[in-house]
Amino acid sequence: MFKKASFLLLIIGLGLISCSKDPISDLSNEESLVYITNRDKSANFTQYKTFSIVDSVLIVENARAGTSLDDIDRAMLQRLITNMEAMGYRHVGRKENPDVGINVSWITNTYLNVYQPLSSYYGGYWGGYGYGYPNYYSYYETSESSWVISMLDFKNPQTTPSGKTFNAVWEAQIRGAAIGDQKLVDKMADSIFGQSGYLKIK
Amino acid sequence: MKRIIIIAFFLGSVLPALAQEKPKLYTIASPFERYTHYLATARFMGAVPMGSFKDNYIDKASFQNFSLSIEWVLRNSPLSVGGEIGSTYFEKRVPRALYEGSEGTISAVQTRTVSQYPVEVFSNYHFLPRNSQVQPYVQISGGASILDYTVYYGTLSSQDQKVRFKYGIGAGSKFLFKKDGTLGLDVRVKYDGTAYKYDYIDKGISSVNGSIGLFYRWW
Repeated sequence: MFKKASFLLLIIGLGLISCSKDPISDLSNEESLVYITNRDKSANFTQYKTFSIVDSVLIVENARAGTSLDDIDRAMLQRLITNMEAMGYRHVGRKENPDVGINVSWITNTYLNVYQPLSSYYGGYWGGYGYGYPNYYSYYETSESSWVISMLDFKNPQTTPSGKTFNAVWEAQIRGAAIGDQKLVDKMADSIFGQSGYLKIK
Repeated sequence: MKRIIIIAFFLGSVLPALAQEKPKLYTIASPFERYTHYLATARFMGAVPMGSFKDNYIDKASFQNFSLSIEWVLRNSPLSVGGEIGSTYFEKRVPRALYEGSEGTISAVQTRTVSQYPVEVFSNYHFLPRNSQVQPYVQISGGASILDYTVYYGTLSSQDQKVRFKYGIGAGSKFLFKKDGTLGLDVRVKYDGTAYKYDYIDKGISSVNGSIGLFYRWW
């Protein structure tokens, strides 16, 4: 009897330990941000001289889309212009045949996750069921938003039967818990350009 | 005054009884000597990463490790056998840095973690009689580790969960608080290795841990 009881206690103890870990709870807003940049390796950025930028931020949420231009969007667009200019590109209007176009979107994806019982359901799986994996799963939904900034090559359009398309030669994603923090907008825009030195044309 | 007299009477009647040893009519070895008995130990451990696990992934010592074991101290043998289950956890924060991957360049503050829930069987060899107050031993263990490898990039995570073979060798000593008693202290140094290969970890997870534990024995 004692053996059984102590084994149960042990299992409960382990369960508690495994639930209490949250290694990223101490990250500051700024530390939570992740910047991911990628480029078309074949693109030669020195051929581009001018750029234009969208006048508002495209909001994409699952299958729906719309535009938005509130304070944070305006701040982001403005800071992107500042950075592009610092890289050596000239800001022109959309009608003036820009070489590249900057697209800015705020994308929210909702995921359905399957909970993996292996990590913290010891109680259920040893105490209650004996050997093996449990035959149940639970589900939870999460949604994640990110900024996606892309640079389209207007200079070399691809002609397809359905019309002209433009290649993205550079793309940046800003992800993390604090991407809606307006105080960090400048930092975000500076960072994605900061880690993309190949964009500099002068 | 009256009270003092009462206390004096009380002490007078109790103290001599305490001071006197019980007369020994016959001597017989302790049950812990004569029978196979049980011994349960709860340990708190500090662990230091070793080898390529330390070089490539986490080099920070960890103090979030615990274990519980139950063993059978065999009769007429210097051996004991038992089972141990535990929880170990390593973590390291890497300041913001750039990582080149197939998706491009990632800039993030990285938080590297490995949690393990080892389930092992072990055997101890004791150098001194099993009822002596100090009992040095060496240990060999083997079993499975239920492990969780998670690397966080900012708040995003990349995770791998596996059950892998693990083994350990150790040396330690038990110290009974009192002769022929049931409670004692256990001190152990142990090398732990887990066969695992993923992402940053190329040659397994190895560590040396020092533990201090309390044990209780019964029969």
